[in-house]
Amino acid sequence: MEEERREVCLNGEEEEVVIKDEDKVALQFMDSLHNYLSLSDSLSSTLRQGWLELASARYSMGTSRVNSSLLDLKFHSAATILKITENEDGKFCVFTCFFMMPFCNITCTTLYDSIGTQPHFTLQKWVSSEHELESTKLEYKNEQPQDSNSIKSSENLMGLADNDEVQKERHKSLSVFGVLISPKLRATQLSFEKALETLIEIANLRSSLLHSFSQLNQEVEDTKE
Amino acid sequence: MYGFEAMTFNIHGGYLEAIVRGHRSGLLTTADYNNLCQCETLDDIKMHLSATEYGPYLQNEPSPLHTTTIVEKCTLKLVDDYKHMLCQATEPLSTFLEYITYGHMIDNVVLIVTGTLHERDVQELLEKCHPLGMFDSIATLAVAQNMRELYRLVLVDTPLAPYFSECITSEDLDDMNIEIMRNTLYKAYLEDFYRFCQKLGGATAEIMSDLLAFEADRRAVNITINSIGTELTRDDRRKLYSNFGLFYPYGHEELAVCEDIDQVRAVMEKYPPYQSIFAKLSYGESQMLDKAFYEEEVKRHCLAFEQQFHYAVFFAYMRLREQEIRNLMWISECVAQNQKSRVHDSVVFIF
Repeated sequence: MEEERREVCLNGEEEEVVIKDEDKVALQFMDSLHNYLSLSDSLSSTLRQGWLELASARYSMGTSRVNSSLLDLKFHSAATILKITENEDGKFCVFTCFFMMPFCNITCTTLYDSIGTQPHFTLQKWVSSEHELESTKLEYKNEQPQDSNSIKSSENLMGLADNDEVQKERHKSLSVFGVLISPKLRATQLSFEKALETLIEIANLRSSLLHSFSQLNQEVEDTKE
Repeated sequence: MYGFEAMTFNIHGGYLEAIVRGHRSGLLTTADYNNLCQCETLDDIKMHLSATEYGPYLQNEPSPLHTTTIVEKCTLKLVDDYKHMLCQATEPLSTFLEYITYGHMIDNVVLIVTGTLHERDVQELLEKCHPLGMFDSIATLAVAQNMRELYRLVLVDTPLAPYFSECITSEDLDDMNIEIMRNTLYKAYLEDFYRFCQKLGGATAEIMSDLLAFEADRRAVNITINSIGTELTRDDRRKLYSNFGLFYPYGHEELAVCEDIDQVRAVMEKYPPYQSIFAKLSYGESQMLDKAFYEEEVKRHCLAFEQQFHYAVFFAYMRLREQEIRNLMWISECVAQNQKSRVHDSVVFIF
Protein backbone atom coordinates (compact mmCIF):
# COMPACT_ATOMS: atom_id res chain seq x y z
CA MET A 1 0.00 0.00 0.00
CA GLU A 2 1.39 3.31 -0.98
CA GLU A 3 1.82 5.80 1.72
CA GLU A 4 2.42 9.45 1.58
CA ARG A 5 4.39 11.21 4.19
CA ARG A 6 3.65 14.82 4.95
CA GLU A 7 4.90 17.19 7.48
CA VAL A 8 2.09 18.94 9.24
CA CYS A 9 2.32 21.66 11.85
CA LEU A 10 0.10 20.98 14.82
CA ASN A 11 0.30 23.16 17.92
CA GLY A 12 3.54 24.68 16.65
CA GLU A 13 5.31 21.33 16.46
CA GLU A 14 6.03 19.58 13.26
CA GLU A 15 4.73 16.09 13.09
CA GLU A 16 5.01 13.53 10.40
CA VAL A 17 1.59 12.25 9.28
CA VAL A 18 1.25 9.19 7.14
CA ILE A 19 -1.62 9.45 4.65
CA LYS A 20 -2.59 6.10 3.28
CA ASP A 21 -3.91 5.71 -0.21
CA GLU A 22 -7.32 4.64 0.94
CA ASP A 23 -7.52 7.69 3.19
CA LYS A 24 -6.84 9.83 0.16
CA VAL A 25 -9.72 8.19 -1.70
CA ALA A 26 -11.96 8.57 1.35
CA LEU A 27 -11.09 12.26 1.63
CA GLN A 28 -11.75 12.69 -2.07
CA PHE A 29 -15.09 10.96 -1.65
CA MET A 30 -16.12 13.21 1.23
CA ASP A 31 -15.00 16.35 -0.61
CA SER A 32 -17.04 15.28 -3.62
CA LEU A 33 -20.04 14.56 -1.40
CA HIS A 34 -19.79 18.00 0.19
CA ASN A 35 -19.63 19.64 -3.25
CA TYR A 36 -22.53 17.46 -4.43
CA LEU A 37 -24.72 18.61 -1.57
CA SER A 38 -23.76 22.26 -2.13
CA LEU A 39 -24.56 21.99 -5.82
CA SER A 40 -27.90 20.34 -5.06
CA ASP A 41 -28.81 23.29 -2.83
CA SER A 42 -27.68 25.70 -5.51
CA LEU A 43 -29.78 23.88 -8.11
CA SER A 44 -32.82 23.97 -5.89
CA SER A 45 -32.55 27.73 -5.33
CA THR A 46 -31.85 28.41 -9.04
CA LEU A 47 -34.92 26.42 -10.06
CA ARG A 48 -37.06 28.22 -7.47
CA GLN A 49 -35.80 31.54 -8.82
CA GLY A 50 -36.57 30.43 -12.38
CA TRP A 51 -40.13 29.34 -11.64
CA LEU A 52 -40.86 32.56 -9.77
CA GLU A 53 -39.47 34.63 -12.63
CA LEU A 54 -41.71 32.69 -15.01
CA ALA A 55 -44.70 33.54 -12.84
CA SER A 56 -43.55 37.16 -12.85
CA ALA A 57 -43.32 37.12 -16.65
CA ARG A 58 -46.88 35.75 -16.85
CA TYR A 59 -47.97 38.54 -14.50
CA SER A 60 -46.40 41.20 -16.76
CA MET A 61 -47.18 39.81 -20.19
CA GLY A 62 -50.49 38.09 -19.45
CA THR A 63 -51.48 34.44 -19.41
CA SER A 64 -52.41 34.43 -23.10
CA ARG A 65 -48.82 35.28 -24.08
CA VAL A 66 -47.01 32.93 -21.71
CA ASN A 67 -48.54 29.47 -21.66
CA SER A 68 -47.64 25.96 -22.71
CA SER A 69 -49.95 25.92 -25.73
CA LEU A 70 -47.56 28.28 -27.54
CA LEU A 71 -44.64 25.85 -27.50
CA ASP A 72 -43.50 24.83 -30.96
CA LEU A 73 -44.37 21.28 -31.99
CA LYS A 74 -42.73 21.61 -35.40
CA PHE A 75 -39.70 19.49 -36.08
CA HIS A 76 -36.47 21.41 -35.50
CA SER A 77 -32.92 20.68 -34.44
CA ALA A 78 -31.96 20.68 -30.81
CA ALA A 79 -30.74 23.88 -29.24
CA THR A 80 -28.58 22.03 -26.73
CA ILE A 81 -26.71 18.74 -26.85
CA LEU A 82 -25.59 16.59 -23.98
CA LYS A 83 -22.58 14.36 -24.60
CA ILE A 84 -21.64 11.49 -22.36
CA THR A 85 -18.16 10.05 -22.67
CA GLU A 86 -16.83 7.09 -20.78
CA ASN A 87 -13.19 7.46 -20.01
CA GLU A 88 -11.87 3.97 -20.17
CA ASP A 89 -12.90 2.19 -23.35
CA GLY A 90 -13.76 5.07 -25.66
CA LYS A 91 -17.46 4.45 -26.00
CA PHE A 92 -19.60 7.50 -26.21
CA CYS A 93 -23.23 8.30 -26.48
CA VAL A 94 -24.83 11.37 -27.89
CA PHE A 95 -28.17 12.41 -26.52
CA THR A 96 -29.98 15.36 -27.91
CA CYS A 97 -32.29 17.43 -25.84
CA PHE A 98 -34.39 20.47 -26.36
CA PHE A 99 -33.59 23.43 -24.30
CA MET A 100 -36.77 25.37 -24.82
CA MET A 101 -36.87 27.61 -21.84
CA PRO A 102 -38.40 27.01 -19.39
CA PHE A 103 -39.36 23.53 -20.42
CA CYS A 104 -36.29 21.34 -20.53
CA ASN A 105 -36.69 17.87 -21.96
CA ILE A 106 -33.64 15.80 -21.16
CA THR A 107 -34.38 12.24 -22.17
CA CYS A 108 -30.95 10.73 -21.73
CA THR A 109 -30.05 8.10 -19.20
CA THR A 110 -26.58 7.35 -17.98
CA LEU A 111 -24.71 4.31 -19.19
CA TYR A 112 -22.69 4.09 -16.07
CA ASP A 113 -20.88 0.86 -15.62
CA SER A 114 -20.30 0.40 -11.94
CA ILE A 115 -16.99 -1.31 -12.40
CA GLY A 116 -14.06 0.66 -13.71
CA THR A 117 -15.70 3.33 -15.86
CA GLN A 118 -16.52 6.92 -15.06
CA PRO A 119 -18.81 8.70 -17.51
CA HIS A 120 -18.28 12.39 -18.09
CA PHE A 121 -21.08 14.75 -19.10
CA THR A 122 -20.57 17.73 -21.37
CA LEU A 123 -23.10 20.33 -22.45
CA GLN A 124 -23.03 22.09 -25.79
CA LYS A 125 -25.43 25.01 -25.65
CA TRP A 126 -27.07 26.95 -28.43
CA VAL A 127 -25.80 24.84 -31.29
CA SER A 128 -29.04 24.47 -33.28
CA SER A 129 -27.69 26.52 -36.18
CA GLU A 130 -24.65 24.26 -36.55
CA HIS A 131 -25.89 20.76 -35.88
CA GLU A 132 -28.38 18.80 -37.94
CA LEU A 133 -29.03 16.11 -35.34
CA GLU A 134 -32.61 14.96 -35.02
CA SER A 135 -34.27 16.15 -31.91
CA THR A 136 -35.22 12.78 -30.40
CA LYS A 137 -32.59 10.57 -31.94
CA LEU A 138 -30.58 8.40 -29.59
CA GLU A 139 -27.26 7.44 -31.13
CA TYR A 140 -24.98 4.92 -29.50
CA LYS A 141 -21.62 4.56 -31.16
CA ASN A 142 -19.12 1.95 -30.11
CA GLU A 143 -16.02 3.42 -31.64
CA GLN A 144 -12.63 4.71 -30.62
CA PRO A 145 -12.39 8.47 -30.60
CA GLN A 146 -10.49 9.51 -33.68
CA ASP A 147 -8.58 12.19 -31.96
CA SER A 148 -8.18 12.38 -28.21
CA ASN A 149 -7.68 16.14 -28.53
CA SER A 150 -11.06 16.54 -30.16
CA ILE A 151 -12.72 14.99 -27.13
CA LYS A 152 -10.84 17.31 -24.81
CA SER A 153 -11.74 20.30 -26.93
CA SER A 154 -15.35 19.18 -27.03
CA GLU A 155 -15.28 18.89 -23.24
CA ASN A 156 -14.29 22.53 -23.10
CA LEU A 157 -17.00 23.64 -25.52
CA MET A 158 -19.83 25.42 -23.76
CA GLY A 159 -21.56 26.75 -26.86
CA LEU A 160 -20.83 29.09 -29.67
CA ALA A 161 -17.87 31.36 -29.19
CA ASP A 162 -19.54 34.47 -30.55
CA ASN A 163 -21.71 36.24 -27.97
CA ASP A 164 -23.98 37.71 -30.66
CA GLU A 165 -24.70 34.26 -32.02
CA VAL A 166 -25.53 33.00 -28.55
CA GLN A 167 -27.90 35.93 -28.00
CA LYS A 168 -29.54 35.21 -31.35
CA GLU A 169 -30.04 31.59 -30.40
CA ARG A 170 -31.51 32.64 -27.06
CA HIS A 171 -33.93 35.04 -28.75
CA LYS A 172 -34.86 32.38 -31.28
CA SER A 173 -35.65 29.97 -28.48
CA LEU A 174 -37.88 32.53 -26.77
CA SER A 175 -39.58 33.65 -29.96
CA VAL A 176 -42.37 31.11 -29.38
CA PHE A 177 -43.74 33.62 -26.88
CA GLY A 178 -43.36 36.52 -29.31
CA VAL A 179 -40.56 38.84 -30.38
CA LEU A 180 -41.23 41.72 -27.98
CA ILE A 181 -41.06 39.90 -24.68
CA SER A 182 -40.53 41.15 -21.17
CA PRO A 183 -36.98 41.19 -19.69
CA LYS A 184 -38.42 38.93 -16.98
CA LEU A 185 -38.86 36.13 -19.50
CA ARG A 186 -35.24 36.52 -20.59
CA ALA A 187 -34.19 36.38 -16.93
CA THR A 188 -36.21 33.17 -16.59
CA GLN A 189 -34.35 31.67 -19.52
CA LEU A 190 -30.99 32.50 -17.95
CA SER A 191 -32.06 30.96 -14.64
CA PHE A 192 -33.08 27.69 -16.26
CA GLU A 193 -29.93 27.72 -18.37
CA LYS A 194 -27.87 28.05 -15.20
CA ALA A 195 -29.90 25.24 -13.64
CA LEU A 196 -29.08 23.03 -16.61
CA GLU A 197 -25.36 23.73 -16.21
CA THR A 198 -25.62 22.96 -12.50
CA LEU A 199 -27.37 19.68 -13.33
CA ILE A 200 -24.46 18.68 -15.55
CA GLU A 201 -21.98 19.57 -12.82
CA ILE A 202 -24.00 17.46 -10.40
CA ALA A 203 -24.02 14.56 -12.86
CA ASN A 204 -20.22 14.77 -13.23
CA LEU A 205 -19.77 15.04 -9.50
CA ARG A 206 -22.04 12.08 -8.91
CA SER A 207 -20.10 10.09 -11.44
CA SER A 208 -16.89 10.96 -9.60
CA LEU A 209 -18.53 10.12 -6.24
CA LEU A 210 -19.63 6.70 -7.39
CA HIS A 211 -16.23 6.05 -8.93
CA SER A 212 -14.48 7.00 -5.65
CA PHE A 213 -16.94 4.86 -3.70
CA SER A 214 -16.29 1.86 -5.90
CA GLN A 215 -12.54 2.38 -5.56
CA LEU A 216 -12.88 2.56 -1.77
CA ASN A 217 -14.93 -0.64 -1.75
CA GLN A 218 -12.31 -2.29 -3.88
CA GLU A 219 -9.53 -1.22 -1.51
CA VAL A 220 -11.46 -2.46 1.51
CA GLU A 221 -12.03 -5.81 -0.14
CA ASP A 222 -8.37 -6.02 -1.09
CA THR A 223 -7.44 -5.28 2.52
CA LYS A 224 -9.70 -8.05 3.80
CA GLU A 225 -8.09 -10.50 1.44
CA MET B 1 -69.04 72.79 -17.06
CA TYR B 2 -69.74 69.79 -19.31
CA GLY B 3 -72.92 68.99 -21.25
CA PHE B 4 -75.35 68.96 -18.33
CA GLU B 5 -74.97 65.18 -18.02
CA ALA B 6 -76.49 65.39 -14.56
CA MET B 7 -79.83 66.13 -16.15
CA THR B 8 -79.94 63.37 -18.75
CA PHE B 9 -77.38 60.66 -17.95
CA ASN B 10 -79.57 58.70 -15.54
CA ILE B 11 -82.31 58.21 -18.13
CA HIS B 12 -80.28 55.55 -19.95
CA GLY B 13 -77.14 55.10 -17.88
CA GLY B 14 -78.28 55.53 -14.29
CA TYR B 15 -79.10 51.91 -13.61
CA LEU B 16 -75.84 50.59 -15.01
CA GLU B 17 -73.76 53.23 -13.27
CA ALA B 18 -75.32 52.11 -10.00
CA ILE B 19 -74.61 48.49 -10.91
CA VAL B 20 -70.96 49.15 -11.70
CA ARG B 21 -70.49 51.15 -8.51
CA GLY B 22 -71.95 48.20 -6.62
CA HIS B 23 -69.45 45.89 -8.36
CA ARG B 24 -66.66 48.28 -7.47
CA SER B 25 -67.47 47.98 -3.77
CA GLY B 26 -67.03 44.22 -4.14
CA LEU B 27 -63.35 44.54 -5.08
CA LEU B 28 -60.93 43.01 -2.60
CA THR B 29 -59.61 45.27 0.15
CA THR B 30 -56.20 45.43 1.82
CA ALA B 31 -57.53 43.24 4.65
CA ASP B 32 -58.56 40.59 2.11
CA TYR B 33 -55.12 40.66 0.53
CA ASN B 34 -53.42 40.39 3.92
CA ASN B 35 -55.46 37.26 4.66
CA LEU B 36 -54.72 35.81 1.25
CA CYS B 37 -50.99 36.47 1.59
CA GLN B 38 -50.91 34.39 4.76
CA CYS B 39 -52.44 31.31 3.15
CA GLU B 40 -50.37 28.15 3.18
CA THR B 41 -52.11 26.28 0.35
CA LEU B 42 -54.34 26.99 -2.61
CA ASP B 43 -57.24 25.44 -0.72
CA ASP B 44 -56.76 28.11 1.96
CA ILE B 45 -57.00 30.74 -0.78
CA LYS B 46 -60.21 29.13 -2.01
CA MET B 47 -61.57 29.21 1.53
CA HIS B 48 -60.81 32.92 1.91
CA LEU B 49 -62.26 33.73 -1.49
CA SER B 50 -65.47 31.86 -0.62
CA ALA B 51 -66.42 34.87 1.52
CA THR B 52 -65.98 37.25 -1.44
CA GLU B 53 -67.84 37.66 -4.73
CA TYR B 54 -65.66 34.90 -6.19
CA GLY B 55 -67.13 32.37 -3.76
CA PRO B 56 -69.85 30.92 -6.02
CA TYR B 57 -67.35 30.46 -8.85
CA LEU B 58 -64.82 28.49 -6.81
CA GLN B 59 -67.00 26.53 -4.43
CA ASN B 60 -67.47 23.51 -6.71
CA GLU B 61 -63.86 23.20 -7.74
CA PRO B 62 -62.33 19.97 -6.47
CA SER B 63 -58.98 19.70 -4.72
CA PRO B 64 -56.15 19.82 -5.58
CA LEU B 65 -56.57 23.28 -7.03
CA HIS B 66 -54.26 24.80 -9.62
CA THR B 67 -53.39 28.45 -10.06
CA THR B 68 -54.81 28.43 -13.59
CA THR B 69 -58.13 27.19 -12.22
CA ILE B 70 -58.34 30.07 -9.76
CA VAL B 71 -57.58 32.57 -12.54
CA GLU B 72 -60.13 31.00 -14.90
CA LYS B 73 -62.93 31.01 -12.36
CA CYS B 74 -62.24 34.57 -11.24
CA THR B 75 -62.23 35.64 -14.90
CA LEU B 76 -65.68 34.06 -15.29
CA LYS B 77 -66.96 36.44 -12.62
CA LEU B 78 -65.63 39.40 -14.64
CA VAL B 79 -67.22 38.00 -17.81
CA ASP B 80 -70.61 37.56 -16.12
CA ASP B 81 -70.53 41.12 -14.78
CA TYR B 82 -69.63 42.44 -18.23
CA LYS B 83 -72.30 40.45 -20.06
CA HIS B 84 -74.96 41.62 -17.65
CA MET B 85 -73.98 45.25 -18.20
CA LEU B 86 -73.76 44.80 -21.98
CA CYS B 87 -77.20 43.26 -22.31
CA GLN B 88 -78.72 46.11 -20.30
CA ALA B 89 -76.88 48.89 -22.12
CA THR B 90 -78.22 51.12 -24.85
CA GLU B 91 -76.28 53.12 -27.37
CA PRO B 92 -73.74 54.64 -27.10
CA LEU B 93 -72.86 52.81 -23.89
CA SER B 94 -73.18 49.40 -25.57
CA THR B 95 -70.61 50.40 -28.21
CA PHE B 96 -68.37 51.76 -25.46
CA LEU B 97 -68.57 48.45 -23.59
CA GLU B 98 -67.78 46.53 -26.77
CA TYR B 99 -64.68 48.65 -27.31
CA ILE B 100 -63.37 47.48 -23.95
CA THR B 101 -63.16 43.89 -25.24
CA TYR B 102 -61.35 44.54 -28.53
CA GLY B 103 -57.97 44.31 -26.83
CA HIS B 104 -58.78 40.77 -25.71
CA MET B 105 -60.00 39.98 -29.20
CA ILE B 106 -56.62 41.00 -30.62
CA ASP B 107 -54.83 38.85 -28.04
CA ASN B 108 -57.00 35.86 -28.95
CA VAL B 109 -56.39 36.31 -32.68
CA VAL B 110 -52.63 36.41 -32.12
CA LEU B 111 -52.80 33.40 -29.80
CA ILE B 112 -54.64 31.29 -32.38
CA VAL B 113 -52.39 32.38 -35.25
CA THR B 114 -49.18 31.82 -33.25
CA GLY B 115 -50.34 28.47 -31.95
CA THR B 116 -51.33 27.34 -35.45
CA LEU B 117 -47.89 28.37 -36.72
CA HIS B 118 -46.44 26.11 -34.04
CA GLU B 119 -48.72 23.21 -35.12
CA ARG B 120 -50.81 23.22 -31.97
CA ASP B 121 -54.32 21.81 -31.80
CA VAL B 122 -56.98 24.48 -32.35
CA GLN B 123 -59.19 23.17 -29.54
CA GLU B 124 -56.31 23.48 -27.10
CA LEU B 125 -55.75 27.06 -28.22
CA LEU B 126 -59.43 27.96 -27.95
CA GLU B 127 -59.41 26.84 -24.31
CA LYS B 128 -56.63 29.34 -23.62
CA CYS B 129 -58.43 32.28 -25.23
CA HIS B 130 -59.82 35.04 -23.05
CA PRO B 131 -63.63 34.69 -22.90
CA LEU B 132 -64.17 38.42 -23.38
CA GLY B 133 -62.39 38.30 -26.73
CA MET B 134 -64.29 35.42 -28.32
CA PHE B 135 -66.20 35.78 -31.58
CA ASP B 136 -68.03 33.30 -33.79
CA SER B 137 -65.51 32.55 -36.50
CA ILE B 138 -62.42 32.52 -34.29
CA ALA B 139 -61.68 28.83 -34.90
CA THR B 140 -61.32 29.40 -38.65
CA LEU B 141 -58.27 31.59 -38.03
CA ALA B 142 -56.22 28.39 -38.14
CA VAL B 143 -56.59 28.06 -41.93
CA ALA B 144 -54.99 31.42 -42.82
CA GLN B 145 -51.43 31.42 -44.20
CA ASN B 146 -50.84 35.17 -44.40
CA MET B 147 -52.46 38.37 -43.21
CA ARG B 148 -54.40 38.90 -46.40
CA GLU B 149 -56.11 35.54 -45.94
CA LEU B 150 -56.56 36.24 -42.24
CA TYR B 151 -58.47 39.37 -43.12
CA ARG B 152 -60.39 38.01 -46.11
CA LEU B 153 -61.49 34.71 -44.57
CA VAL B 154 -62.21 35.66 -40.98
CA LEU B 155 -61.59 39.13 -39.71
CA VAL B 156 -63.47 41.09 -42.34
CA ASP B 157 -66.72 40.39 -40.44
CA THR B 158 -65.36 41.24 -37.01
CA PRO B 159 -64.95 44.58 -35.25
CA LEU B 160 -61.18 44.30 -35.87
CA ALA B 161 -61.60 44.67 -39.65
CA PRO B 162 -60.99 48.44 -39.77
CA TYR B 163 -57.73 47.98 -37.88
CA PHE B 164 -56.24 45.73 -40.52
CA SER B 165 -55.80 48.34 -43.21
CA GLU B 166 -52.28 49.18 -41.97
CA CYS B 167 -50.97 45.67 -41.74
CA ILE B 168 -52.34 43.71 -44.67
CA THR B 169 -49.54 42.03 -46.57
CA SER B 170 -49.17 38.82 -48.50
CA GLU B 171 -46.10 37.80 -46.54
CA ASP B 172 -46.35 34.52 -44.75
CA LEU B 173 -46.99 34.75 -41.05
CA ASP B 174 -43.88 34.36 -38.90
CA ASP B 175 -42.95 35.39 -35.38
CA MET B 176 -41.83 38.90 -36.31
CA ASN B 177 -44.79 39.59 -38.60
CA ILE B 178 -47.20 38.35 -35.96
CA GLU B 179 -45.62 40.61 -33.35
CA ILE B 180 -45.83 43.61 -35.63
CA MET B 181 -49.43 42.69 -36.48
CA ARG B 182 -50.31 42.47 -32.77
CA ASN B 183 -48.90 45.86 -31.97
CA THR B 184 -50.20 47.55 -35.11
CA LEU B 185 -53.71 46.26 -34.41
CA TYR B 186 -53.54 47.40 -30.82
CA LYS B 187 -52.29 50.82 -31.88
CA ALA B 188 -55.18 51.20 -34.34
CA TYR B 189 -57.65 49.99 -31.71
CA LEU B 190 -56.43 52.48 -29.08
CA GLU B 191 -56.57 55.37 -31.54
CA ASP B 192 -60.08 54.37 -32.64
CA PHE B 193 -61.26 54.06 -29.04
CA TYR B 194 -59.73 57.47 -28.28
CA ARG B 195 -61.58 59.07 -31.21
CA PHE B 196 -64.84 57.45 -30.15
CA CYS B 197 -64.50 58.82 -26.61
CA GLN B 198 -63.70 62.26 -27.97
CA LYS B 199 -66.93 62.14 -29.98
CA LEU B 200 -68.91 61.25 -26.84
CA GLY B 201 -67.64 64.43 -25.26
CA GLY B 202 -68.21 65.68 -21.70
CA ALA B 203 -66.77 63.95 -18.66
CA THR B 204 -66.40 60.68 -20.57
CA ALA B 205 -64.10 62.31 -23.11
CA GLU B 206 -62.00 64.05 -20.49
CA ILE B 207 -61.49 61.09 -18.18
CA MET B 208 -61.12 58.47 -20.90
CA SER B 209 -58.57 60.66 -22.72
CA ASP B 210 -56.40 60.61 -19.63
CA LEU B 211 -56.79 56.85 -19.12
CA LEU B 212 -56.20 55.94 -22.77
CA ALA B 213 -53.25 58.34 -23.03
CA PHE B 214 -51.65 56.59 -20.06
CA GLU B 215 -52.31 53.23 -21.74
CA ALA B 216 -50.69 54.46 -24.96
CA ASP B 217 -47.66 55.85 -23.12
CA ARG B 218 -47.21 52.68 -21.13
CA ARG B 219 -47.35 50.60 -24.30
CA ALA B 220 -44.74 52.85 -25.89
CA VAL B 221 -42.38 52.32 -22.95
CA ASN B 222 -42.97 48.55 -22.89
CA ILE B 223 -42.42 48.25 -26.65
CA THR B 224 -39.18 50.21 -26.30
CA ILE B 225 -37.85 48.12 -23.41
CA ASN B 226 -38.92 44.80 -24.91
CA SER B 227 -37.41 45.61 -28.30
CA ILE B 228 -33.96 46.44 -26.92
CA GLY B 229 -31.53 43.89 -28.33
CA THR B 230 -34.00 42.49 -30.88
CA GLU B 231 -34.11 42.78 -34.66
CA LEU B 232 -36.84 45.43 -34.59
CA THR B 233 -35.47 48.53 -36.29
CA ARG B 234 -35.91 52.03 -34.95
CA ASP B 235 -38.32 52.92 -37.73
CA ASP B 236 -40.44 49.84 -37.08
CA ARG B 237 -40.40 50.59 -33.39
CA ARG B 238 -41.52 54.18 -34.02
CA LYS B 239 -44.41 52.94 -36.18
CA LEU B 240 -45.80 50.88 -33.30
CA TYR B 241 -46.29 53.89 -31.00
CA SER B 242 -49.81 55.36 -30.87
CA ASN B 243 -50.41 58.83 -32.28
CA PHE B 244 -51.65 60.32 -29.03
CA GLY B 245 -50.61 60.46 -25.42
CA LEU B 246 -48.20 62.55 -23.41
CA PHE B 247 -45.16 61.22 -25.28
CA TYR B 248 -46.60 62.05 -28.70
CA PRO B 249 -44.76 63.25 -30.76
CA TYR B 250 -41.43 64.31 -29.25
CA GLY B 251 -41.20 61.65 -26.57
CA HIS B 252 -41.72 59.00 -29.22
CA GLU B 253 -38.80 60.35 -31.25
CA GLU B 254 -36.56 59.99 -28.21
CA LEU B 255 -37.91 56.59 -27.21
CA ALA B 256 -37.37 55.23 -30.71
CA VAL B 257 -33.58 55.62 -30.36
CA CYS B 258 -33.21 54.30 -26.81
CA GLU B 259 -30.76 51.41 -26.43
CA ASP B 260 -31.09 50.67 -22.72
CA ILE B 261 -33.36 51.15 -19.72
CA ASP B 262 -31.46 54.19 -18.43
CA GLN B 263 -32.07 56.07 -21.67
CA VAL B 264 -35.77 55.24 -21.39
CA ARG B 265 -35.69 56.56 -17.85
CA ALA B 266 -34.06 59.80 -19.03
CA VAL B 267 -36.87 60.29 -21.56
CA MET B 268 -39.65 59.58 -19.06
CA GLU B 269 -38.25 61.83 -16.38
CA LYS B 270 -38.84 64.83 -18.61
CA TYR B 271 -42.58 64.31 -18.15
CA PRO B 272 -43.73 65.19 -14.62
CA PRO B 273 -46.62 62.69 -14.40
CA TYR B 274 -44.14 59.84 -14.97
CA GLN B 275 -41.35 61.07 -12.73
CA SER B 276 -42.95 59.37 -9.73
CA ILE B 277 -42.84 56.00 -11.54
CA PHE B 278 -39.10 55.96 -12.01
CA ALA B 279 -38.48 57.58 -8.65
CA LYS B 280 -39.34 54.20 -7.11
CA LEU B 281 -36.70 52.38 -9.18
CA SER B 282 -32.94 52.39 -8.97
CA TYR B 283 -30.78 52.95 -12.04
CA GLY B 284 -30.59 49.99 -14.40
CA GLU B 285 -33.54 48.26 -12.73
CA SER B 286 -36.47 47.26 -14.87
CA GLN B 287 -37.94 44.37 -12.91
CA MET B 288 -40.23 46.55 -10.78
CA LEU B 289 -41.27 48.83 -13.63
CA ASP B 290 -44.36 46.78 -14.40
CA LYS B 291 -45.56 47.01 -10.82
CA ALA B 292 -44.90 50.78 -10.80
CA PHE B 293 -46.99 51.19 -13.95
CA TYR B 294 -49.79 49.04 -12.55
CA GLU B 295 -49.84 51.10 -9.36
CA GLU B 296 -50.14 54.32 -11.34
CA GLU B 297 -52.87 52.79 -13.50
CA VAL B 298 -54.85 51.65 -10.44
CA LYS B 299 -54.58 55.13 -8.93
CA ARG B 300 -55.99 56.71 -12.09
CA HIS B 301 -58.79 54.19 -12.40
CA CYS B 302 -59.84 54.68 -8.78
CA LEU B 303 -60.01 58.43 -9.39
CA ALA B 304 -62.48 57.82 -12.23
CA PHE B 305 -65.07 56.81 -9.64
CA GLU B 306 -64.83 60.21 -7.96
CA GLN B 307 -67.02 61.74 -10.64
CA GLN B 308 -70.52 60.78 -11.79
CA PHE B 309 -72.44 60.63 -15.05
CA HIS B 310 -69.78 59.30 -17.38
CA TYR B 311 -68.81 55.99 -18.99
CA ALA B 312 -65.23 55.86 -17.77
CA VAL B 313 -66.39 54.10 -14.59
CA PHE B 314 -67.16 51.01 -16.70
CA PHE B 315 -63.72 50.99 -18.25
CA ALA B 316 -62.12 51.62 -14.87
CA TYR B 317 -64.07 48.80 -13.22
CA MET B 318 -63.04 46.29 -15.89
CA ARG B 319 -59.39 47.27 -15.56
CA LEU B 320 -59.48 47.16 -11.77
CA ARG B 321 -61.04 43.72 -11.83
CA GLU B 322 -58.34 42.53 -14.24
CA GLN B 323 -55.69 43.88 -11.88
CA GLU B 324 -57.36 42.04 -9.02
CA ILE B 325 -57.24 38.79 -11.01
CA ARG B 326 -53.54 39.42 -11.70
CA ASN B 327 -53.01 39.90 -7.97
CA LEU B 328 -54.79 36.64 -7.21
CA MET B 329 -52.71 34.85 -9.83
CA TRP B 330 -49.49 36.16 -8.29
CA ILE B 331 -50.52 35.29 -4.74
CA SER B 332 -51.56 31.79 -5.87
CA GLU B 333 -48.22 31.25 -7.63
CA CYS B 334 -46.26 32.38 -4.58
CA VAL B 335 -48.28 30.09 -2.31
CA ALA B 336 -48.04 27.14 -4.72
CA GLN B 337 -44.26 27.60 -5.07
CA ASN B 338 -43.81 28.11 -1.32
CA GLN B 339 -42.31 31.56 -1.86
CA LYS B 340 -44.57 33.69 0.29
CA SER B 341 -41.74 36.07 1.11
CA ARG B 342 -41.95 37.35 -2.48
CA VAL B 343 -45.70 37.84 -2.52
CA HIS B 344 -45.51 41.59 -2.05
CA ASP B 345 -43.19 41.99 -5.06
CA SER B 346 -46.10 42.29 -7.45
CA VAL B 347 -49.37 42.68 -5.54
CA VAL B 348 -50.95 46.08 -6.24
CA PHE B 349 -53.47 47.09 -3.62
CA ILE B 350 -56.54 48.73 -5.07
CA PHE B 351 -57.90 50.36 -1.92
